[in-house]
Amino acid sequence: MPQPRVVLKNCDVIDPKRIDSYLENGGFKALAKARREMTPEQITGEIKDSGLRGRGGAGFPCGIKWEGARTASGDAKYVICNADEGEVGTFKDRYILEKDPFTLIEGILIAGHAIGAKQGYIYLRVEYHYLLDHLQNALNQVKQKGYLNGFSLEIREGAGAYICGEESALMDSIEGKRGEARYRPPFPTTSGLWGKPTIINNVETLMNIPPIIMNGADWFSQMGTERSKGTKVFSVSGDVDKPGVYEMVLGSPLRELVEELAMAKNIKLVQIGGATGRILPGDKLDTPLAFEAMLGAGAVTVYDQSRDVIDIIHRTMEFLVEESCGKCTPCRQGTEVMVEVLAKFHRSEGSLRELRNLEALSSAMMLSSLCGLGQAAPNAVMDSLQYFRDEYEKRVAK
Amino acid sequence: MEKKIKLTINGKEVSARPDMTILEVAKENGIDIPTLCYIPDLSPIGACRLCVVEVEGSRTLVGSCHTPVAEGMVIQTHSPKVIATRRVLVELMLASHPDACLVCDKANICELRRIAADLEVGLPRFRARKHYYPVEDEHPRMVRDMSKCVQCWRCVIACKGESGTPLFGTAYRGFDSKVIYGFDQPLGSQACDDCDACVEICPSGAIRKVRKAGEERANKALFIKG
Repeated sequence: MPQPRVVLKNCDVIDPKRIDSYLENGGFKALAKARREMTPEQITGEIKDSGLRGRGGAGFPCGIKWEGARTASGDAKYVICNADEGEVGTFKDRYILEKDPFTLIEGILIAGHAIGAKQGYIYLRVEYHYLLDHLQNALNQVKQKGYLNGFSLEIREGAGAYICGEESALMDSIEGKRGEARYRPPFPTTSGLWGKPTIINNVETLMNIPPIIMNGADWFSQMGTERSKGTKVFSVSGDVDKPGVYEMVLGSPLRELVEELAMAKNIKLVQIGGATGRILPGDKLDTPLAFEAMLGAGAVTVYDQSRDVIDIIHRTMEFLVEESCGKCTPCRQGTEVMVEVLAKFHRSEGSLRELRNLEALSSAMMLSSLCGLGQAAPNAVMDSLQYFRDEYEKRVAK
Repeated sequence: MEKKIKLTINGKEVSARPDMTILEVAKENGIDIPTLCYIPDLSPIGACRLCVVEVEGSRTLVGSCHTPVAEGMVIQTHSPKVIATRRVLVELMLASHPDACLVCDKANICELRRIAADLEVGLPRFRARKHYYPVEDEHPRMVRDMSKCVQCWRCVIACKGESGTPLFGTAYRGFDSKVIYGFDQPLGSQACDDCDACVEICPSGAIRKVRKAGEERANKALFIKG
């Protein structure tokens, strides 16, 4: 079944270096409509009705976030576009930034109008430094054409920390501090960047804004499932013949994505959502790709039968132990303990007692960590224990 | 008079001011929630996570030291889930803490030890690397031994520094994170001539007073329940 293109509709259609080619393809019409014909209240209402949920992984309803920031009191408000695409195995935002920076900027400007912000930031991960000039060029052209209309949009670069993709650490980073998770409440919509009301949206979320404003909430909410509306862009990598970026209507089966589009064979497991994501065994490929099941930021990494589960989980945890911000006990200490235990199983020196301890540890980390990183860090361990427990038991020291 | 709100803690209905945290309300009602990073009157840190409690309707446990109360909140401060989680947290701290209590100057007034005893945590189930940092003993009034630090970051929040510049900061990432002085230099003899706040509030043996033999200890001696 051919999939509709909503987010990627301009990719490979327009010339990302020239604003004129974007304008020829209906660019900035949504912004004009939002500014001339709609009140901020109507815009947030439209986004709420569309059922758009955040595409960065957590899936928070976008309209409710905007509504919170719109009604919050503050002398200054901020819009932040999270382009710190740090999740292991995702490269969809990079693709979007390369091929269609103008729709993103249009989305940010609409967001600014909707919540009453005069300042916006694009937080670009430092690994995408090569895109800085490209983005700045797009931004300059938008400025020259006069679309900013008093809004100031700045690109800020990260410094290479995974945790800075987490919204509160991201704000610390923009403020010039060491990126650390903050406790919530207060939520960013009331006290975010420099203590002011702030919305932070993923690149892909903001890409959905101009089409929703142009075509209406009803058009958008026709696509997808009951609680997951619209399309989602996936980055597929691993043991597949055709790795790449694919856009699908939410609720499509995982099988269609990995077997029909990406041409994977002999699948042992699929990791969905990167290092903090979930793991599905090869016999559960009919799971729908939706927020109701599992989604994350859209990283889909396929492993075939030649792969060792313990090796995959061990490497995932090695990544997390290095990328934890180190602020809260469960995440800082827990990931370290997990790496040690997994290394023992990797060497076939595990014990059943350690397996039980691993479960107690996972549960405590999920319940008590300060931010999403620590809460989701044990996902891969828990899922692999559920589906591949025999592989662990095989590695118990004789 | 300020408006009061009603909430339920451990099955008992209590009233509170809306600007209070769960921890403050619990304390006011004689409920003892363990804390390691919290300092009254200073802004909460939320790092140690020992003060987590169960709030009905919340997916995870919430840190009581930084979560404000709300009308109708239903809170469990000592449910089995909460106790099990707190035990794991203490075990995680102990896992990379040196087993040097026998010769530690703070052993008898150590908050980490007291909490471990209260929660009946013995030898930790988990194993982690230990940190080995050289002891910083140049300063005339305080000794810093970062291998005993539990990363509560109290000193970071409490220190204002002589000239308004805080002495301590945080650096590095993940398991390697560390409370540093300056650009991670040892605390020199000239480092600070100010208030000793960090010495007073450090819950473990990481920062301590230089004490002559026979001199009395400042805090109450450790009292182990049971």
